[in-house]
Amino acid sequence: MNTGNAASTTQQPHITETFVQKILAHLDNTDINKLNDFLSLFKPGGASKIIFNSQPFNDPMVFLTMWQQQVVTTQHSLTSIDYHVIPGSGTLICNVNAKVRFDESGRDKAGQDSIIRDNTTMTTSNNQSNRRNLWGPYFGISLQLIIDDRIYRNDFNGVIGCFNYNMVYKPEDTLIKIN
Amino acid sequence: MNRYQNYYNVPSGPQQQFQNQNRVKIGVRNWQNATMQDLLNFLSRNTRVNLMDATIDGPLITGYVQSQSQADQLIKWNGVSFAGNKLKFEIIQGGQTGTSSTIEFLKLFLAKRYDPQARMLNLGGLYDDPELVQKGMFTNMSTQSRMFPAMMKVASKEPGLVVESLNLADNRLKDVSAISALAQTFPHLKNLCLANNQITRINSLDVWKNKFKDLRELLMTNNPITNNPSYKNEMLKIFPKLVVLDNAVVRDGAKLDSIFTLPVKLQIFFFENNELGQRSTDFVTNFLNLWDTDRSQLLSLYSPQSQFSISVDSSVPPSTVAKSDQNSSFGYYIPHSRNISKVSSEKSIQQRLSVGQEQIGNSFKELPRSKHHLQDQPNEYSMQSFIYPQVNGFTITLHGFFDETAKPDILPNKGYNSRNRRSTYTTSANTRLCQKSFERTWVIVPINNTFVVASDMLMIRPYTSHAWTAPSETPQPPSQLQPQIQPPVQAQPQMSPVPVMGAPQLAPTLQLPPDVQSRLNPVQLELLNKLHLNTKLNAEYTFMLAEQSGWNYDVALKGFQDSINNIPRDAFIQ
Repeated sequence: MNTGNAASTTQQPHITETFVQKILAHLDNTDINKLNDFLSLFKPGGASKIIFNSQPFNDPMVFLTMWQQQVVTTQHSLTSIDYHVIPGSGTLICNVNAKVRFDESGRDKAGQDSIIRDNTTMTTSNNQSNRRNLWGPYFGISLQLIIDDRIYRNDFNGVIGCFNYNMVYKPEDTLIKIN
Repeated sequence: MNRYQNYYNVPSGPQQQFQNQNRVKIGVRNWQNATMQDLLNFLSRNTRVNLMDATIDGPLITGYVQSQSQADQLIKWNGVSFAGNKLKFEIIQGGQTGTSSTIEFLKLFLAKRYDPQARMLNLGGLYDDPELVQKGMFTNMSTQSRMFPAMMKVASKEPGLVVESLNLADNRLKDVSAISALAQTFPHLKNLCLANNQITRINSLDVWKNKFKDLRELLMTNNPITNNPSYKNEMLKIFPKLVVLDNAVVRDGAKLDSIFTLPVKLQIFFFENNELGQRSTDFVTNFLNLWDTDRSQLLSLYSPQSQFSISVDSSVPPSTVAKSDQNSSFGYYIPHSRNISKVSSEKSIQQRLSVGQEQIGNSFKELPRSKHHLQDQPNEYSMQSFIYPQVNGFTITLHGFFDETAKPDILPNKGYNSRNRRSTYTTSANTRLCQKSFERTWVIVPINNTFVVASDMLMIRPYTSHAWTAPSETPQPPSQLQPQIQPPVQAQPQMSPVPVMGAPQLAPTLQLPPDVQSRLNPVQLELLNKLHLNTKLNAEYTFMLAEQSGWNYDVALKGFQDSINNIPRDAFIQ
């Protein structure tokens, strides 16, 4: 029934889901050294469209840098995924829903907080080994992706053509401001 | 302890006055075989309640008791034998007058202590306020402990009282239990002063943990708590956005803001270019009109290679998401859901993809009938639209909600529906019609003067309020764009006569709570009314029956007849 001209269909759902999980894992990643791995998934030279909360980013690097430097640690979990391989286009479109929660401990991805230290501030709160993420409540996420069907041939280089990420619901007891 | 003695041992004058405000007027019947004094003695002796200022008032003796609790106590003696009759007590006038005058008093007091310019409420030194003392606010433990909550409650009902700063200095507070309600009354408080109190235990502030998410400044000087070595650390933990503590900067405000604020504001629309914006809003408006009225007319937009599928995200949103439906029902959708993170069978995944007009048409009929509100509530919808170069077309993603107005034209999987469901109408709770939120993504390829929908993916999830904020200066809502543009839908929607549905007339005995009624659509109300008239069930049970039957009248009536012997008597109109 699947009329896609991409590689054999039986593995498609599995590969699609794994790839989406990979993208979410990249978003949750705090290791700045892995940023380039994430970047390599997007088409180079402004060929990738990124929309985040209805705002466009023409350069994936700008978006990923912003995400790395200005958004606290996140934890995504996939709740729904559906996809269509569009015949003749060499691409598929994914409709993904997920939940995301933010580290509300007051530290950024690099572990820096905003507390001004003096000698009365106990060192425990500064103790790096003691650092734990304090997950806030879940936000709802809707993500649309246009991906090259090369992923079915184990080729992930520059496959993301479109990345449309929007928050669809927000908990009222969060510390994170989105508006 | 000394202090304690001092301010609770106040002269009896104000105390008396305060108590008069709580007096409750009581009437006593069936006392006529004795004198009034006999009755008063009898009451005082047996019930330990004194009826004061008693007078004979026709068949009644009326008098006052000191408080609502005394009145309640007296009511319990209803039917007690006195002089050959059974006495009957009634509350003629509750403590309301006292309460409402107290409310008025507190309102005036708050207004006096409020500075609208600074958005500051100054509740410092209340014990030294002659008015409050005179009013008897501090006469005993119970009035004192109730005064703050009462004040908070009154404050929370004053819309004019926008409080960013609150001063509670010099109030002899030993802990924050009396003022813990502050967190509900002023959740967005920015500055709080608790200086010159006797707050000792850090633990007592735990009630405020995860509250006051906007508190920037706290002043606790001259409280024993400040001597605790972990004081500062604990305050930093309890108030995640605290910047200034006791006049010292404890957090870097700019860094704090950057940590807790997303760098990108959430917008409601994105269109890659203006033309796309108009085409998209047009498309979506027309498409959803037909989707709600006559889905078969949409089929001309689909080609033999077009694909359609739905997926269900049944994960329950957090209860702290406004208006979130914590108990949604997906019975009509689950059999079709192509959520590949949940459906593992390769066969199901293939089967649940509809390709070509015929399959897509059938799928459309298997989904509940719906009503979208794109035109009357445009801000409830968010949309992104961008070019999809590989198909020479574009995609539209729409986020929003719809009402389910009726069950699907074709019920899913023949075996699953009909007989099974009707025999036990409770199982149809999972096919209850309700509001749903959704994401829908169309891939659209323009051909000649029209379009083909190459791909159409619909994601259904429990209803929640949306995350995007309505733009303050209303941009052109989608509906306004509509007339200027040639409608993209080929078969121009003959706006099939949408039944103009005003609210139906309900039987006077069908008394629905307003919030329930407002949630129901006219069709549901009509059904309730009919069911109510035919079963004589009261509103609550009629509603339960309708809900359990999935808002199907025949199912509901059958269920009623089957279980009529088990329905409690108070389920019927009395």
